[in-house]
Amino acid sequence: MFDLEESIAQWRRQMLVAGIKTKSLDELESHLREEVEKQIKAGQKPKQAFEIAAEEIGRPAMLKAEFAKVAETWPVWKKLRKLLGFNEIPSPALIDFATVGRRTLELAAVEARTFRHDFIGTEHLLLGLLKSESTIVSKVMRSLGVEEKTVRIEIAKFVPGGPAHEGSLNTPYTPRAKNALRLAGKEARALGQPQINPEHILLGLIREGDGVAWRVLKNLKIHIENVREEILRETGRAGL
Amino acid sequence: MKFVFDIHRVSMYRASMIRKELVAASAEPLILSLLAKGESYGYAIIQEIKERSGGKLQWTDGMLYPVLHRMERRGLLKSRWGESESGRKRKYYSIKKDGKAAMAKHYEQWSLVNAVLSGLNKEQYV
Repeated sequence: MFDLEESIAQWRRQMLVAGIKTKSLDELESHLREEVEKQIKAGQKPKQAFEIAAEEIGRPAMLKAEFAKVAETWPVWKKLRKLLGFNEIPSPALIDFATVGRRTLELAAVEARTFRHDFIGTEHLLLGLLKSESTIVSKVMRSLGVEEKTVRIEIAKFVPGGPAHEGSLNTPYTPRAKNALRLAGKEARALGQPQINPEHILLGLIREGDGVAWRVLKNLKIHIENVREEILRETGRAGL
Repeated sequence: MKFVFDIHRVSMYRASMIRKELVAASAEPLILSLLAKGESYGYAIIQEIKERSGGKLQWTDGMLYPVLHRMERRGLLKSRWGESESGRKRKYYSIKKDGKAAMAKHYEQWSLVNAVLSGLNKEQYV
């Protein structure tokens, strides 16, 4: 049985992960409901009415790109952000990642598709890390007793798989995943390394401090500080 | 500079009878002129533009809101949360003084383009 309220709640979640702010989302939801109502009045069944309305509003990633432009065109805000130092961590470019690091990102995208999620979150990055052939990350994970299998089970507790849909080539990162990657770039620089490696991504995920990945590691009773220490010890040992 | 996260930019407008560049350029003057008649909200704005253009001017619905927000930030519009007759939350927009000035400017420019275009068009048949 089709549940309109549940469908709208799910639609909201998708928009939220795409990075649409709650305030804008309230306005979009109000619009969605008007359109659903109009479609039902025109004789559509609730399910079809919802689908048409959601389609008319547009895909999350596309909307996010447009809303992002609004922020760009507010020069005062831009200046203020700079003054307050919000922009001190730039987003790393693909070229800033070492080959293994880039491989982690690809594996994360594969994970997102496997879950049928149309976003790449910290959980996908974590799974990507566990799959990538990074000696440092594997060693650290092994020494802490983290296994891919248990991580996968934990993640499933937080995030259910999505409905079947066609994969997109440009899966967007969630705001938290983006932030984790920014922090990964910062970690690499702090360690004086020219490029971002998987271990920096792991540090980024930990420093982000509130993503699904972080909560999973916490649930597995893995002390975040230990991971950090292990990584720093291993990077030191590798003589990098 | 190319960022990893650059989500590919999709145009604000769906393929429609009127070229998307033109739809994009006309969004602001149309919104301003519509709000100059009185306060309105996103859904009603879209419906009215669709109706008045006989469905030839089509926006992907959600894309109107970033445009409205941008115009609000530039001081052309102001907004307030209100309620619909049935009690649903609704965000109403109204035009500000700067918005009216911008509207006049838009109108002047569009009229000029229109005059040049129709002048040239007439000469073709002389």
